[in-house]
Amino acid sequence: MNATLSPLIHLVDDDEGVRSSLALLISTVGLRVQDWADPQRFLREFPRGDIGAIVLDVRMPGVSGLTVLDTLLREGVDQPVIMLTGHGTVDMCRRAFKAGAAEFLEKPVDDEVLLEALQQAVRQHVKSRERLAADRAARERYAQLSEREKEVAGLIVEGLTNKEAGRALALSPRTVETHRANLFAKLQAESLAQLIRRYGTVIDEDQAP
Amino acid sequence: MRPPRRHRWLPAFWLALAFGGWIALVRLEIADLQDAFETDARIAHRLLSQRAVQHDAILATLALLQPPDSPEAGAQRLPALYPQILSVQRRDAGAAWPDAALAAAEAQSRALRRAVLADADFAAGRYRLVRAAQPASFAAQFDLRKLVPWPEWPMDPQRSPVAVRLEQGGQRFTLQPGGDAGGPWSFDFRKHLETDSQPFDVVLQRSVGWAELPWQRMVLWGLLVALLAAAVHWLLRQRAERARAEELLRLGQVARLDALGELAAGMAHELNQPLAAVLASAQAARRLLDEEPADVDTARTAMRQAEEQARRAASVLARLRRGVERPSAAAPLQPVVLQDAVRNALYLLEPEFSKRAVAPQFEAGAEALAVQAEPVALEQIIHNLLTNALQALDQVPPNERQLSVRLQSQAGQGELTVGDSGPGIAPELLPRIFEPFFTTRENGLGLGLSLCETLAANMGGHIGVQARSPRGAAFTLRLPLAA
Repeated sequence: MNATLSPLIHLVDDDEGVRSSLALLISTVGLRVQDWADPQRFLREFPRGDIGAIVLDVRMPGVSGLTVLDTLLREGVDQPVIMLTGHGTVDMCRRAFKAGAAEFLEKPVDDEVLLEALQQAVRQHVKSRERLAADRAARERYAQLSEREKEVAGLIVEGLTNKEAGRALALSPRTVETHRANLFAKLQAESLAQLIRRYGTVIDEDQAP
Repeated sequence: MRPPRRHRWLPAFWLALAFGGWIALVRLEIADLQDAFETDARIAHRLLSQRAVQHDAILATLALLQPPDSPEAGAQRLPALYPQILSVQRRDAGAAWPDAALAAAEAQSRALRRAVLADADFAAGRYRLVRAAQPASFAAQFDLRKLVPWPEWPMDPQRSPVAVRLEQGGQRFTLQPGGDAGGPWSFDFRKHLETDSQPFDVVLQRSVGWAELPWQRMVLWGLLVALLAAAVHWLLRQRAERARAEELLRLGQVARLDALGELAAGMAHELNQPLAAVLASAQAARRLLDEEPADVDTARTAMRQAEEQARRAASVLARLRRGVERPSAAAPLQPVVLQDAVRNALYLLEPEFSKRAVAPQFEAGAEALAVQAEPVALEQIIHNLLTNALQALDQVPPNERQLSVRLQSQAGQGELTVGDSGPGIAPELLPRIFEPFFTTRENGLGLGLSLCETLAANMGGHIGVQARSPRGAAFTLRLPLAA
């Protein structure tokens, strides 16, 4: 992942005229565009890790845009997908959204609508990538805790006082207090609220039966 | 759509109707025969009764008038007068009857004061009556065979199927043999003679044989019903045929609409791509020119792309046009008589006219008007104009519906004018009426008149429209006259 580059938009459409016109239009808002004429090749080669979005034509020879969309979903690709179609039906639209499309637009598409949708999609992608990164960091730190510290963390996240936690774990309140101080330090949390916000999910997942 | 061979009930229908008729005919015939039989029987009974009463009277007269001078003369002349009287006997006071039967009968007669039957020998065909009187009693012997007054008899004794008998105490005497036809029907008549002296039953019997049924009429009826069934069958088949033809026509229209829909979908897709590209390029160019400073070079590229894509759209349309171009446009023109073409179209649309209660007025002109035309195209134009007029008339009350077709020749051209009394066309719409996809009808495609104009132009002709006063529209087709 290279955060210094601007987001990359992948444009998949078999029609060369449409492809180059749309690419030009998208580039006017400072987004980089890579266009693909062949959906198979796109699926094989496009870089999964980049920040960006995918614009997918529905009607292409050989493979339909909806099939490509299904494949992306199966592979767990997280770039948002905007579907473009010459004549959309309600059914086609429903299928696209069910398969996880972010937008469904009809050709010829208004520039404001397309560009706004693309920018929105990119913003969302960035946010979800950040959330993912934060999540991964939280997991790594949590992994450094000892078993006892993990137990204490679970109880205080549930709202137990040191005394109550000590009783539950057959420890003295003082010992609990020590573990508590250590785990706050290891997790780089400054308050209980911060701990819950950053690690609540991780702790819940860990201590779930 | 059901198959046309579906009138399996027709034979049953025929049989039921024929059978009903036959039963009625047979019943009527039997009733007639019975009536005739009963009339004959009553007449026969009356005639025989008259004879029997006559016999009583003869004996009574003899007893009263007994001619003393020549006792035998009167009595012996009787057989000459009445052929059924075989002989007359007389017993004077003190004399005796030749046999006991007569004596016994006389005693009875004396007590009853009327003639009495002495004996009856049906095997021999005779019987005797005795009348007691003073001074002499009389006995007469009758011949059964001659009892019947044949000249007045209602039946022909040789050929009549009616058997006539006299019966008395187990004896039978056949007056008329009749015939046993062996059929299932028979009539009977039995009645006492209307005199006490001759206690005979008149018995008539007749049976009706199969041969006596009204076969001719029955066969005739069967044929008649068969004819009726055939007519019903024909009508039903005709109706089914018509329904099928209508269905086919409807299917044809649906197929045409389907093809049109397919064409439109394909056209939409083919045109949508370049249109999308044109739009995107134009928008990109606008954005590039809006920038500070404007990126004119890239904008120029965008405009060139837009240009290319617009050309592509135009070529799609050209391809489409070549694809749907009518081959008939190039068909050779030939002289066509307008009168015939109009009559043909009116004939084809006749059901539509009668459905709407519209009687078309056709001013055919005095002489045949031959124009240079392609017959199918001309037919299509006339058909279209008439259909349009009819549809316009749907919007006015039936009694105000008028449709006229006028033919005339004008400056080397044949003119056909279809006028209607419909609501007419608004003046501001008149110039647009032949434009493709322009329509005043809710569900119209707006292609009919445009097609007519194209067809007319291909034949070197022209279509025009004028408003009609007080209301309505008149379309005029002009085509060059045939040389």
